[in-house]
Amino acid sequence: MIEFKKVKKVYEPNDVVLNNINLEIKKGEFVSLVGLSGAGKSTLMKMLTKEEMPTSGKVLVDGIDIAEIPGKEIPYYRRTIGTVYQDFKLLPSKTAYENVAFAMEMSDATPEEIEKDVPQILNIVGLGDKLNSFPNQLSGGEKQRLAIARALIHRPKILLADEPTGNLDLVNGYDVVKLLLKINELGTTVILATHDTNIVNSIGRRVISIDKGKIVKDQLENGRYMI
Amino acid sequence: MFQIFKSVIKAGWTNFKRNSYLSAAATGVISLALLLFLGLLSLQFVTNEIVVSLQDKVDISAYFKTDTAEEQILEVKSDLTARADIENVNYVSRAQALEEFKKKHEDDPLIQESLAQLDDNPLAASLNIKTKHTSQYASIVQFLENSKFKENIDKINFYENRTVIDRIERLSSSVRTWGLTAALMLALIAVLVTFNTVRLTIYNQKQEIEIMRLVGASNWHIRGPYLAEGGFYGLFAALISMAVFYPIVYLVSDKITQLVETINLASYFSQGFLEVLAIISGLGIVLGVASSFIAIRKHLKI
Repeated sequence: MIEFKKVKKVYEPNDVVLNNINLEIKKGEFVSLVGLSGAGKSTLMKMLTKEEMPTSGKVLVDGIDIAEIPGKEIPYYRRTIGTVYQDFKLLPSKTAYENVAFAMEMSDATPEEIEKDVPQILNIVGLGDKLNSFPNQLSGGEKQRLAIARALIHRPKILLADEPTGNLDLVNGYDVVKLLLKINELGTTVILATHDTNIVNSIGRRVISIDKGKIVKDQLENGRYMI
Repeated sequence: MFQIFKSVIKAGWTNFKRNSYLSAAATGVISLALLLFLGLLSLQFVTNEIVVSLQDKVDISAYFKTDTAEEQILEVKSDLTARADIENVNYVSRAQALEEFKKKHEDDPLIQESLAQLDDNPLAASLNIKTKHTSQYASIVQFLENSKFKENIDKINFYENRTVIDRIERLSSSVRTWGLTAALMLALIAVLVTFNTVRLTIYNQKQEIEIMRLVGASNWHIRGPYLAEGGFYGLFAALISMAVFYPIVYLVSDKITQLVETINLASYFSQGFLEVLAIISGLGIVLGVASSFIAIRKHLKI
């Protein structure tokens, strides 16, 4: 369970990015965060990985205040959260297989586990035949699916997807969303930040609209893109 | 633990191969630093040998008046031999001195003739004294001048040799000081240049490090492969510098032997091959790993 309590984020000197955010996301939910660029969607997500800290207020994940996680523990905490970005953030010098294997090595998985899990997860996202391709040899959709495979390898409780379809064409974009829905069905909480109207409307789940750092609408079911 | 070590080394090796251009640059810089170090090592060896061989040629002789009894001279000799700073004392009697003088000038009829005309042996008996260190000659001279037989001593040629002795003294001590200073300066420059090269390499991979952090890599997971990569730079640099240095040693060795007979650079370095290899590899690896360690620190803040 994720809770935002009176969260405010101000960039110096007085650029208010998030203002008094109160939000609860239950385990296993699929939430679309919608809003224009600069509305504060990414900042909200970055608080969950402790890349950003609130200026005031609290962010709790499973009852634990993120601000209280010591620096040493952050890598371990981040392994419980999968992240997918618009620009994929793949390691360009590693092959598809190695990009995923790398994330597993970080959690001290044994070579046997890596050899077993990596091809399996790449099969799930449809990249079973691209194990040895480098990111620059993959199409946009394939890169994003690879990024999702990497995000899933730790079996995270939460998957954060920040504009994952932003660089993709319509068909590839829908493929990625379908994959996210499938992951959600398996029990992972998914938070999808996007400004793509068609995609949001096709999902039909909870939609939270953010504008100028404030939550302006929270449709709990069958939500539509609205600002 | 071994498993992690193995995977870190493997990742470092993969990085090393894939960043071939930057790897070559960093390896090149460390190779140069190691070559400079090897050059300095040879210079130190050569100057040391020269100083030692010059020191070997320096001795002092005390000449006794012709009427001094042999027993007295031998007593002085045994007094001297008892001292700790004496390497050896050689007694040359008047007859021996004459013999040597004749031999030395046997091609000179004029000297032979004049010697034949003399009734008495004009040459003095002497003690050739060699100390363990050139700086000890002054105290030997003092010892002789204060001994009970000082009346019998005609002259000591220390004062004639003094400038040579002093010069060798100064040369050997300045070679040591300057050699050490130069070595330290070089080491510092090598560290700075290597550090800078590795920093450029790592700066190039800034995004990768950011991504590693995002997928939950701990600092050691991020650092490990870079340290291993730095170690590979050092190891290859060591092999390269050895491969360049040894042929040069064999080429130059003959020429140096022609200049100073006692110096054999080739045999000195081939005898110590394994030691030199170990030292250079160790130095290279330490240099590479330390540079990586400093260079990556900046990128590890969460």
